[in-house]
Amino acid sequence: MAKLKSDNPDQCISCNICLTACPVARATRKYRGPKLTGPALTRLRMLIEDQDPMLQYCSNCKNCDRVCPSGTPISTLNMKARSAYYKKNPHTLAEKILSNNELMGKTITSIPFASTIANLGMKITKAAGAFEIVGMSSKAPFPTYAKKSFSAMFKSISQPKCDKKVLFFPGCYVNYNEPQVGVDLVHVFNHNNIEVLIDDNFVCCGSPMISAGYIDKVQHNADINSKILASYAKQGIDIITTCTTCALILKQEYDELFELEAVKEYNVHMYDAIEYLLNMYERGELKTDFKTLNKKEIYHTPCHLKVQGYGKPTLKLLNKIPGVEVVDADAGCCGLSGIYGYKTNTAEVAAIVGSKLQKTIKESDAHEGVCECNICRLQMQNNTGKKAYHPLHTIRQAYGI
Amino acid sequence: MLTTEVVIIGGGATGAGILRDLSMRGVKAILIERGDLGCGTSSRFHGLLHSGGRYAVRDKNAAIECIEENQILRRIGKHCVEPISSIFIRTPEDDEAYEGTWLEACKEAGISTKPLELSKLFEMEPNVSRKVKSAYLCPGAAIDGFRMLWQIFDSANRHGGKTLTYTNVIGIDSENGKVVGVTVQDMHSKEIYKIACNYLISATGPWCSRVAQLAGIDINVKPSKGSLIAFNHRICTNVIHRLHKPSDADIFVPHGTVTILGTTSIDSDPDDNSTSQEEVECMMKIGEATFENLRDYRILRVFAGCRPLYSAGNSSGRNASRDFAAIDHGKEHGLANFMSVCGGKFTTHRQMAQKVCDMVCPVLGNTAKCTTHEVPLIEEPSEQLMQRAKAVFPSYAAELAENRQGAQRLEQLVKDIEKDNKLGEIVCECENVSRAEINAVAEDSTSHSISDIRRRTRLGMGTCQGTFCTYRAVGTVKSLKKDWTEDTSKLFREFLEARWKGIRPVLWGNQMRDVDLTRGIYEVSLNINHEEKKHE
Ligand SMILES: Cc1cc2nc3c(=O)[nH]c(=O)nc-3n(C[C@H](O)[C@H](O)[C@H](O)COP(=O)(O)OP(=O)(O)OC[C@H]3O[C@@H](n4cnc5c(N)ncnc54)[C@H](O)[C@@H]3O)c2cc1C
Repeated sequence: MAKLKSDNPDQCISCNICLTACPVARATRKYRGPKLTGPALTRLRMLIEDQDPMLQYCSNCKNCDRVCPSGTPISTLNMKARSAYYKKNPHTLAEKILSNNELMGKTITSIPFASTIANLGMKITKAAGAFEIVGMSSKAPFPTYAKKSFSAMFKSISQPKCDKKVLFFPGCYVNYNEPQVGVDLVHVFNHNNIEVLIDDNFVCCGSPMISAGYIDKVQHNADINSKILASYAKQGIDIITTCTTCALILKQEYDELFELEAVKEYNVHMYDAIEYLLNMYERGELKTDFKTLNKKEIYHTPCHLKVQGYGKPTLKLLNKIPGVEVVDADAGCCGLSGIYGYKTNTAEVAAIVGSKLQKTIKESDAHEGVCECNICRLQMQNNTGKKAYHPLHTIRQAYGI
Repeated sequence: MLTTEVVIIGGGATGAGILRDLSMRGVKAILIERGDLGCGTSSRFHGLLHSGGRYAVRDKNAAIECIEENQILRRIGKHCVEPISSIFIRTPEDDEAYEGTWLEACKEAGISTKPLELSKLFEMEPNVSRKVKSAYLCPGAAIDGFRMLWQIFDSANRHGGKTLTYTNVIGIDSENGKVVGVTVQDMHSKEIYKIACNYLISATGPWCSRVAQLAGIDINVKPSKGSLIAFNHRICTNVIHRLHKPSDADIFVPHGTVTILGTTSIDSDPDDNSTSQEEVECMMKIGEATFENLRDYRILRVFAGCRPLYSAGNSSGRNASRDFAAIDHGKEHGLANFMSVCGGKFTTHRQMAQKVCDMVCPVLGNTAKCTTHEVPLIEEPSEQLMQRAKAVFPSYAAELAENRQGAQRLEQLVKDIEKDNKLGEIVCECENVSRAEINAVAEDSTSHSISDIRRRTRLGMGTCQGTFCTYRAVGTVKSLKKDWTEDTSKLFREFLEARWKGIRPVLWGNQMRDVDLTRGIYEVSLNINHEEKKHE
């Protein structure tokens, strides 16, 4: 059937509220805002073709979607237009490299010492200016690779047998860059008598590919992931994510982009890890044998969490831990938005957008940053002199496990 | 006194075609239009460049004329014709027997009908109903009425043809059984004056009877109103027809950024271009056979025009002949050198004009041949000009501006923006109209309101229907300091009321929310409905 939802610009009433919420439009005049690039030009693109340099400026942060009073899938219209544009125009080398995150991660974490070499290599290449040559920014905070993937580490954790089970979708970042987040999750859930399952057949959610304009390739990933997710949901098993971007893609964008029926079967069973724990807390099911920690944390809300509209569970839950004070940074978008912050042509914009958050964190008297999103955390640590953790880190600390 | 060989009344497709044809044959002619060019039926139509397929079964001659003119207009009017196709689909509701008759008739008229496999149809037109039984590809296309008229006048002007807009013909002057001129009134200054001529042609479409009445002549032109629905975006890539006996609401034409569904056929007064909500509902119901999800698409507005149906007898509506009539009042009513031309279609306006001029020119002693089918309406832009345009206009805007304004005006626009890049800013975001374009059209002597600018640019014709571009456009023209741009509250009201008229019958869903936003801006923030109170 017709791709009504996402190809249809009719929801938009041109109110321009999205323009006021767009961090990119605020940072640069090169981008004329979400309404024009999305719904308005979608109508024109059905009529004529043209080179449209504005298409690369949308960071897909989805603040436009969040504030739209009409429910227009603005950012999806943008991503679709970008993808269509790349069917006729070549990708940059940077887009090719950056959208290959899964393959790189898999390769590097499966060879002993490869991560050390890769991380070192990245530093050397950066220093040698090779990043600029392929169109990647050397100033952006690149993630490092882990020595061992999360799925490898997961296998060596011996979990207690529990009646209650959840399925965890780790995503590439936890799998290949920061497996500790996944490990913390398993321990925290086990402490609450919940066993964590993972499924080796999951593939990358596809977010970097969407941003780089390879939507067609994502359809394959969407088919695989949605089938797996639906099969667990059917058995009544809840699905947990820690990456807010993966969550958004799985819960909502597969449907917007490809109208996958399976999405409706599982998305009501999907929860962010902290949202899940807070729900348990509110039902009186969460263990509260917390130690007193004595620290102050500054919390940044990822854009992709905001747009899902379930509040800010991390602020609520961490504040239940004795001795922990969490303040809300309330400093807008981190700017990086996945691969957006790493391509030279948009890194400049990302740096302007992210500067407010960096300044707020630097000037704050908090000891450390806390945030669900992996990429946001990189920006929170970038020249701020502070470390940033996933909230599960603090919760595990408080449990003393 | 202003003197010319021929006066043409009516600035629609028919009058424009005649002016161009006469001018190219070297006959001095003035065209007189009481409103803006194309403010009558020629801008209130469906925008279909007929292939003839619709008429093949009932009226072979009309079908042949359509296919001939279709080929000619695609060639001479490239900027106004979207070279797409027409797809005729038979739904389960349509008589299967008609299909064979229709195929045969098309063949006889020389209209190609290529069978389309359904899988191919759905690939080309993913929104079309999956219940379709069969489909054929025909050479129909979309035609931009405003733009074509504007370019016909440009072409005529280059050959010496003149136009007077906002000039109403209020009297026909005759001496000894012969027309010698007309009495006209300037609609702005109210001045009344005479124009002398040797021949008078009334090409006033549905108003033909009224104009003939000025000379005391009765002719039977039955205005038949048709309504059209404009949707917010292109829901199809090609024109989609129902394959059945021509009927109401059975054609969708993708037209620029919108899609137009039409039409109906109701006897009416020629000045009536209203549409009722019932008519809309009726058309939507029929339209659902073509697009099952029709109700998911946002309706922008409705509009209506009157067909000038001429009949010697009393038949009206869809059964009257669509063929045009050229009534020689000398032969028929004893008033020589006066002719009324009405009927026909936009598609066949050029051929009608040719036939009329072939009759009129010998009377004037002119033996030149018609060349209107050989010469393109406007020149193609050079590659170099397009490159300069792309460098100064935002994406998409260069090609649109070139299509709307033609190469010559585009060159001036590019120069203007090169001098002052602020002029490249977009005033109307829905249709991508730049400040430079608004300025240039506003400076033209035929512009007297924002609606006049709209007809030449598509300003305010997109999603927001003027919500954001009206105040920008008013601000832009105000700074030009022309007589007609002084009273800004008048400019606001004229434009917004015209937009409102078309939105009123479809005031639901997102369109209602849109109107509320518009009212918030203009009634609440700008307070345009209340005259400034004079302080004592
Ligand atoms: C709903 C509808 C849909 C249609 N769809 C199509 C289609 O898809 N394709 C197609 O080819 N054809 C279509 N047609 C037919 C086509 O639009 C008309 O045949 C054509 O536009 C008629 O042009 P015209 O110049 O004869 O009349 P008009 O365009 O009406 O021009 C007459 C002009 O005379 C002026 N006038 C009247 N009285 C005076 C006066 N006293 N002094 C000065 N000026 C005066 C009026 O202001 C008007 O501008 C459609 C018609 C209708 C109504």
